[in-house]
Amino acid sequence: MAVVEHHETIEHGHAADGDGIHHHGHLTLEYQPGLPMGNSKLIVWLFLSTEIMFFAGLIGTYIVLRFGSPVWPKTHWVHLVEWIGAMNTFVLICSSVTVVLSLEAARKNDAGAAKGWLFLTLILGGVFLGVKMYEYSAKFSHGIYPAVPHSRIYERPDIYYASAVRARLNEPEVQNELKRLRGLRPDQLDPDKKVAEKMAAGLTEIDNVSKAVQDPTIGPVPLALDVAQKIYPLEDEESAATATEHPEGLNELFPWLKLPMVIPGGNIWAGTYFLLTGFHALHVLIGLIVFAIMIFTLRLGAERAYVIENIGLYWHFVDLVWIFLFPLLYLF
Amino acid sequence: MSESHETFDHGSSAEQAAHHGHAGIAKYIVVFLALCVLTAMSFWTSNQLPIPWPFPHQPAVARTFMMAVSCTKAMLVILFFMHVKYEANWKYVLTIPAAMMSIFLMLMLIPDVGMRMRNPGGGPPGVAQEQVQRLGSQSLDNQIQAAAKARSGE
Repeated sequence: MAVVEHHETIEHGHAADGDGIHHHGHLTLEYQPGLPMGNSKLIVWLFLSTEIMFFAGLIGTYIVLRFGSPVWPKTHWVHLVEWIGAMNTFVLICSSVTVVLSLEAARKNDAGAAKGWLFLTLILGGVFLGVKMYEYSAKFSHGIYPAVPHSRIYERPDIYYASAVRARLNEPEVQNELKRLRGLRPDQLDPDKKVAEKMAAGLTEIDNVSKAVQDPTIGPVPLALDVAQKIYPLEDEESAATATEHPEGLNELFPWLKLPMVIPGGNIWAGTYFLLTGFHALHVLIGLIVFAIMIFTLRLGAERAYVIENIGLYWHFVDLVWIFLFPLLYLF
Repeated sequence: MSESHETFDHGSSAEQAAHHGHAGIAKYIVVFLALCVLTAMSFWTSNQLPIPWPFPHQPAVARTFMMAVSCTKAMLVILFFMHVKYEANWKYVLTIPAAMMSIFLMLMLIPDVGMRMRNPGGGPPGVAQEQVQRLGSQSLDNQIQAAAKARSGE
């Protein structure tokens, strides 16, 4: 648009001067763009510059909080599975390749192949988001949320924690369920004998926890820590290194129990994890919407190659952000 | 309106086609494989692969290694997938200021890291000793004790 206008202005100028400047006729003016590329691509690059700043701020803040916190939860404590993150990285890399192949096909004016590759990108992006949803739900189901009222994370096994456990145990919902379970014979708890035994032992543990948190002297940390370890056990350094799964506590044995749990550093971890992955997932979602619109409304021949190039730049950037988020969030 | 647009884009795509031609796809596959290997290398530091990670007790080594791997991966994506390697010099106009601003932003955050890390005893209040001893890192506990000693000595 700007290009055409510029041309026209120059030509109008010539015409207005009329015969008076006839001797200047040899002078041919040519429009030189500031940057040798189309406006759309320039806009995408400028947008990506701002996006770099956006994620640099988020990641920088994460690093400050990560290394400034006295305790940071181990991955098992917060149900973070490294290989799932690695697989998702692989999925995003694949989707970057399919975008590039779509662009190559479009440049060769092979609209069908371009659309096919873009569709594959859409599917891979969907897989990424699906895995992300699965990961989120694994955390939500354990009461790990970025904020109250859903979050059941307590930082310290102190008197506030003990009173929160007491409050939850005294809720009618919990009391009724406990009463019901205590009325059952062992074989009615679970058809599997081993599980039934475990549940019976768990019920006894709940009694112990109940008694402990009614005790006004629970304040001292070791007592509350014992309670916390029964509800949601955390491994120490050595066993955490070899464990593949979080050890089972009362919260896992009785999913309806939903007792508050102690995860040192858990709140700041949840805050940063959900913020960073959430903003990244939002970018993925926006990319997928644009892909879907392109697939269903455009013919992706050579005349549209620049559209694929532009959305491709954005998509590669989203991939790039994940390349940094994966080690920072899962492996640091 | 779109005429000038197309001229530009055809121009640049023709230019790029001349640059990589038919070798393009093969090159993308090589970059893809490199990215996969690099991802596996990052994952290696979590010590869950058959080949043990050689520095399990030095997290700083693993972190430096992972960041080096990530920067390499980022470079591959930017240069090849985003075609920056084949772009004209305008790329510097856009990337250098953004890179400088990002580095500047990181530098501005360093004081925060320093303030919080070098002040273990006075960090976020109320982290119980027993809990840190049992659940947190041992070195942190030592730091807290050292800080407490230093304070009582003053």
